[in-house]
Amino acid sequence: MAQTEFNYQKKDLPANLLKIGFAIFFIGTILSVVAFFVNQERAIFNYLVTYMMLVSISLGSLFLVALEYVAGADWSTPIRRIPEYFAGLIPLLFLLVIPILIFNHDIFHWAHEKAVASDKILQGKAPYLNIPFFVIRTFVFIGLWSLFYWLLIRNSVKQDSSKDQLITKKNIKLSAIFIPIFALSITFTAIDLMMSLQPHWFSTIFGVYYFAGTIVAAIAAVTLAVVMLKEKNYFPWMNNDHLYSLGALLFAFVNFWAYIAFAQYLLIWYADLPEETFWFLTRWNGSWAYFSIALIIIQFAVPYFVLLTQPSKQNPKILKFISIWLLFAHLFDLFWLILPNMKVMKDGYVFSWIDLVFPIAGIGLVMMVFYWRSRKINLVPVGDPKLKRGIDFHL
Amino acid sequence: MNIDYSNEKSVVAGRLTLAQIEDLVAKPMGTKPDKKFFIAISISLTALLIGAISVGLTFYYGIGMWGNNQPVGWAFAIVNFVFWVGIGHAGTLISAILFLLRQKWRTGIARFAEAMTIFAVMCAGIFPIIHTGRPWLAGYLLPYPNQHSIWVNFTSPLVWDVFAVSTYFTVSLVFWYVGLIPDFATLRDRATTKFKKTIYSIFSLGWMHSNRHWTHYEKAYVLLAGFATPLVLSVHTIVSFDFAVSILPGWHTTIFPPYFVAGAIFSGFAMVVTVLVFVRKIFNLENIITVDHLEKMNKIILATGSMVGYAYAMEFFIAWYSGVSVEQFVFINRALGPYAWAYWIMVSCNVIFPQLFWFKKIRRSIPIMIVIVILVNVGMWFERFVITVTSLSRDFLPSAWAYYKPTLIDGGILLGSFGLFFTLVILFTKALPVVSISEIKAVADGAQPTHQGAENHA
Repeated sequence: MAQTEFNYQKKDLPANLLKIGFAIFFIGTILSVVAFFVNQERAIFNYLVTYMMLVSISLGSLFLVALEYVAGADWSTPIRRIPEYFAGLIPLLFLLVIPILIFNHDIFHWAHEKAVASDKILQGKAPYLNIPFFVIRTFVFIGLWSLFYWLLIRNSVKQDSSKDQLITKKNIKLSAIFIPIFALSITFTAIDLMMSLQPHWFSTIFGVYYFAGTIVAAIAAVTLAVVMLKEKNYFPWMNNDHLYSLGALLFAFVNFWAYIAFAQYLLIWYADLPEETFWFLTRWNGSWAYFSIALIIIQFAVPYFVLLTQPSKQNPKILKFISIWLLFAHLFDLFWLILPNMKVMKDGYVFSWIDLVFPIAGIGLVMMVFYWRSRKINLVPVGDPKLKRGIDFHL
Repeated sequence: MNIDYSNEKSVVAGRLTLAQIEDLVAKPMGTKPDKKFFIAISISLTALLIGAISVGLTFYYGIGMWGNNQPVGWAFAIVNFVFWVGIGHAGTLISAILFLLRQKWRTGIARFAEAMTIFAVMCAGIFPIIHTGRPWLAGYLLPYPNQHSIWVNFTSPLVWDVFAVSTYFTVSLVFWYVGLIPDFATLRDRATTKFKKTIYSIFSLGWMHSNRHWTHYEKAYVLLAGFATPLVLSVHTIVSFDFAVSILPGWHTTIFPPYFVAGAIFSGFAMVVTVLVFVRKIFNLENIITVDHLEKMNKIILATGSMVGYAYAMEFFIAWYSGVSVEQFVFINRALGPYAWAYWIMVSCNVIFPQLFWFKKIRRSIPIMIVIVILVNVGMWFERFVITVTSLSRDFLPSAWAYYKPTLIDGGILLGSFGLFFTLVILFTKALPVVSISEIKAVADGAQPTHQGAENHA
């Protein structure tokens, strides 16, 4: 078959990415360390928000890679390296999670022995919510994610030179195994690190809720990177249909998130059981009410109308704007999930500069990791058998 | 077995020409029904008749003929309703969502699945109406200003059901019909008798296969797919609200909406596979509805079955985690109580057996596939039974606990709904093309211009 050969020439990303990334990371980290000394409790809660954001982007990206293999998609093959780069954060989670484990006492009410001793419900949960089991779970999950990250990406990179079709087959199998593991681990991660902040509260959909946000954040990160790289002419082959597919996916998952969030809210509101409603009521206290309303607007109403029409889904400028917006929205969502659990903020939000510094460090870290991965791995999976189909993709 | 990932696999096997495809699909409409047809339809009509008699007895004597009693006041009627609505979901998923996802393999199965959606919703619609006991008053389910000033209770999810299901039925019917128009035109052009020609002409709305017609058609189709997509989620979400907005343990849990939707797609796909396996054999459509298509459907069954399994596990875990004693009791009661038999039928049919689809050989083996998908159908019926009956039979008041047993009439009505469904399916296979002729032609090899040009046919 005489196909036009696709010539890939490795072109480094601008070194500025690393420099700026490092500068941002450096400033963010210094401010974060200062924040720790100023107000340890608030700092660790904020640290958790940023940590969950990094989990969302990295693990969500790995899920997107796995999904491409399992679904047999071809349009996304030429840009698959982007989620692969983002997933490069996963091994770092081993280090990043440590402050949460060290300062668990500041975040988790159930980690207080005294509190548990006087609380019958917490005693009932103790077989699950206890520090040793919690630490084991956390590391086992990160270990599993790292393992699948390493296997999938190693194979993908190997294919660049070997062009072996069997590797695709192998990765399809690995991805199929990864997806159920992903589903369970992300659910229990959400329960452990976010739902258990308010240990009396429970909701069966919570894992799905976090999953929905995760995917929105991961697709938004990928879209942002793709559009920016396209602007700098790294993807000369890219057409509107590739962008449209990204926009449509974003739109779909924005709706999915809204659907899950609405289902959770409506059922709890309608049944009106005090053991469930208090969680939402906390988020309605004082100024938290503005946050709750803002969340609906930020994570659903605005992106819904922005992405609704067909032209907007393939307009690079709109996509760039909305993916930054949605990354912020997911961060805002996490903030809304986590911060109201602080005792001092029960009656309403009180502003502090501490809330702003941790995401700065996170952004810098993501930029650096992205750059490092791009130095090592080709920007396009040149050996992937689906690459040609992906580049020629038309709706 | 090595697959070449650099090329898309043909959707239509056997290198059929476009004329052959048309002949193959249009054949049942041009020939007289054979013996097999009459045997099949007499079986399904018998079942339908049994159902009609059971419904007749119910109307005559009242719903006391059913097993419903305190505390289980809601049993077969709602179970069957949810079951049939669920069956319908595969059609909308295939016709709308897979269309938007540009899954070409859907073309071989979409028409049939859409038809099954419509028939299944018709079966489902019967149950709430007969459960009212006075079906002649069913008109009041729709809110309209009337001289009695009787309004529906807008805060009740049962009313939302009326809106959701009737919208769903309407959109599915329109979607199905729009897809049929080009095929009606084809049949009109092939018709040999005046009578047939007249009927097909009316339904084809003057379709001329012109470029202009196709442009409009494709726009309409995308729009309808866009409308139908939220319906896939909304209908079973609202059905799940019937249970989940209550405060009954085992019913009230936040995962119900997505869990019901996954379960609906799961059962719907199982039913589509069950029927298609026979249809492709009887009408010699093996090259159009290929084993590849069945394998893909089995993958979706595996995925949605695992989602359902995830929901079962989450419900169990959170019941324990919640520390609420009634929640914990309900789930232990389900697994070990008087309805444990139903619970374990549900778990094994819905979660355990579909896991066999992890193996490619099983996914592609027709006899094993038939067994598994029928088990899934059984399991999904039992899922609704377990949810409805176990939670009610042992509620907050232990002195009122009772064991629910269906009566013969209950069974008769259930059988009748299957009779209605299969009668409609069988009539459909004879009256309309079971595969979309125009769509399948569009995805056949060489039908579309490609970058590779003529080399694709080499």
